Amino acid sequence: MRAGPSQEEIRRHNLGALLRHVHLGGPTSRAELTSRMGLNRSTIMALTADLTAAGLVREELPRETGRAGRPSLVVRPESARVYVFALDVGVDRLVAARVGLGGTIIDRREAVRRRGPFSLEEVVGPLAAFARQMHRKTRPDTVCVGVAAAFSGGVDRGDGVVRFGPNMGSVDVPFGEEMARRLGLGLPVAVGNDANLAALAEHTRGVGVGCRDLVYLHGDVGVGGGVIVNGTLLGGHQGFGGEVGHMVVNPKGRSCGCGSLGCLEAEVGERALLEAAGRFDGSGALVGRDAVRAVVDAADRGDIVAQAALSRVGDWLGLGVANLANIFNPEMVVFGGMLREVYLGSAAQVRSRLATDALPPVREHLRLRTSALGDDATLVGAAELAFAQVLADPLEVLARAGS
Amino acid sequence: MTPVLELRGIDKSFGPVQVLHDVSFSVYPGEVTALVGDNGAGKSTLVKCVGGIHPIDSGDYLFDGKPVQVHSPREAAALGIEIVYQDLALCDNLDIVQNMFLGREHKRGLVLDEDTMEEMAAKTLESLSVRTVKSIRQHVSSLSGGQRQTVAIAKAVLWNSKVVILDEPTAALGVAQTAQVLELVRRLADQGLAVVLISHNMNDVFAVSDRIAALYLGRMAAQVKTSEVTHAQVVELITSGRSGDLGLTNGVPA
Ligand SMILES: Nc1ncnc2c1ncn2[C@@H]1O[C@H](COP(=O)(O)OP(=O)(O)OP(=O)(O)O)[C@@H](O)[C@H]1O
Ligand SMILES: [Mg+2]
Ligand SMILES: [Zn+2]
Repeated sequence: MRAGPSQEEIRRHNLGALLRHVHLGGPTSRAELTSRMGLNRSTIMALTADLTAAGLVREELPRETGRAGRPSLVVRPESARVYVFALDVGVDRLVAARVGLGGTIIDRREAVRRRGPFSLEEVVGPLAAFARQMHRKTRPDTVCVGVAAAFSGGVDRGDGVVRFGPNMGSVDVPFGEEMARRLGLGLPVAVGNDANLAALAEHTRGVGVGCRDLVYLHGDVGVGGGVIVNGTLLGGHQGFGGEVGHMVVNPKGRSCGCGSLGCLEAEVGERALLEAAGRFDGSGALVGRDAVRAVVDAADRGDIVAQAALSRVGDWLGLGVANLANIFNPEMVVFGGMLREVYLGSAAQVRSRLATDALPPVREHLRLRTSALGDDATLVGAAELAFAQVLADPLEVLARAGS
Repeated sequence: MTPVLELRGIDKSFGPVQVLHDVSFSVYPGEVTALVGDNGAGKSTLVKCVGGIHPIDSGDYLFDGKPVQVHSPREAAALGIEIVYQDLALCDNLDIVQNMFLGREHKRGLVLDEDTMEEMAAKTLESLSVRTVKSIRQHVSSLSGGQRQTVAIAKAVLWNSKVVILDEPTAALGVAQTAQVLELVRRLADQGLAVVLISHNMNDVFAVSDRIAALYLGRMAAQVKTSEVTHAQVVELITSGRSGDLGLTNGVPA
């Protein structure tokens, strides 16, 4: 039999919990922390003192009170001092950002990635250069406490290797390891599937805050997803869970990059929409978010081919969402990436499908929402992954980073 | 759930022409209610009755479950009803802050200084995640259609309105601006307000609404939950007043 948690374990847990509160909630008064964390005042005071001594938070007077009387001190994260590097590897873009504790994007660099055969060097090189540039601009008293990347591909939870990425053309890429080596910060690089991380980002900082059961759908070239069940991301046995884009909705349908037929991605992804709209020229000249937006725009202006394309795609999307709703009974489904535009431009079809194909009690309380973080969802998700360590064990991670 | 705003059996005529016949309409907090219907069905007239611009001939007007009399826009505003009319009423020669405080400067005997007004306006826009406006001291004449809608909606939030009614806010907008206005509409309802959205665009209606109320030739054909109907059914309600079990039978709602 295992003994209960030690005093030290409890303290570590509470330090992390308090830091998480101000990281996600912003400046918070001690009184509020006391009531939200269900701890007594002296414990909160001791925890705050420890985190302050470590340079993770700072206590100060609030900017304005609006109320008479003695203002209570607020605990705020040391956003300018403690930071992470967040990386985003998408099919069309590479992004690196320096993100302060509390979630503020302090600095960011972005490059266009050309579609074509995958080369590890062509991804790692620019991102490492971006990180170095941003690192050089930091003050000497700043400290980097983590690095993480969102990758458009399936990431093995065991070793962090990207096992598949049909739209990137990548197979078995040891991205995290190579990235860490090139950064040379002495920190490991955590890697997550981009849509999974975006799901977590919407759950912690976006439209899904306070929502325990959520399905996030991410449209890039393909369709990715993240399923959050009772507040936890569903990873599956190896971490490949939530690949909703490869749910087969049309067995005799279009061929998918994964080798199957009629996957949701094959029916509603960028290529399906552009082809149906007669706007896929194969040269790759007009692809990506702008091309998708152009279809929605044309439909709005009365182009009947574009309208029919959106309506067709919306129908398949609705079928996919109905299946997901029936299986997971989520409180909310979030449309992110280019699926934001697709949903807004085809909501009549999507919801008609739900009305006919989703179980009545399941669809009645289902809320359909667009991403609040927009194009930054994957990047914000990477930042949160990078902060995970310091939020789990603040003092230990800071001591290691500072040494 | 009790509706925050409820109309029962509203009749409205302009001279010899009866425009609204026995119309009932309920609006709930935290929800977006889409009000749909063909051109001339009576949507704007209904909204102007709610807003105290047109007196109603007969019927009941309830707010928070209690019968009220609304004879002027001022009385509607006092209840917490803010309406953004189809012919949008912002003053072009004033800036954003001035517009948001227009007609409210001396509410409750409160005289606000410029700095406070500016801060309140900025905070409201920020709370709605409105980031496209460059300066809140910009003249309204220099804003895009979407930004003008945004300012009008923000005004409603600033004054703690309970009900916000938007008459075709996206009609004149491009796709990107429409998306922003729709998301703003949704956010308002998610913050607990009751929102009424009038639109002819069925994708807009289905994208953000919780309920759909369909007017047909001045009669309320049906008020349904959006999760229970298909696009085809709503189109039928709009064009013929009925669809299967839903809608009017001999001019009377099912
Ligand atoms: N002030 C008025 N005097 C006389 N008739 C009016 C007046 N206002 C509206 N009407 C008539 O009432 C009917 C309903 O008009 P209303 O503007 O309410 O329609 P609507 O549903 O808003 O249409 P739209 O979709 O075109 O905006 C129309 O036949 C219109 O001509
Ligand atoms: Mg009208
Ligand atoms: Zn597939």
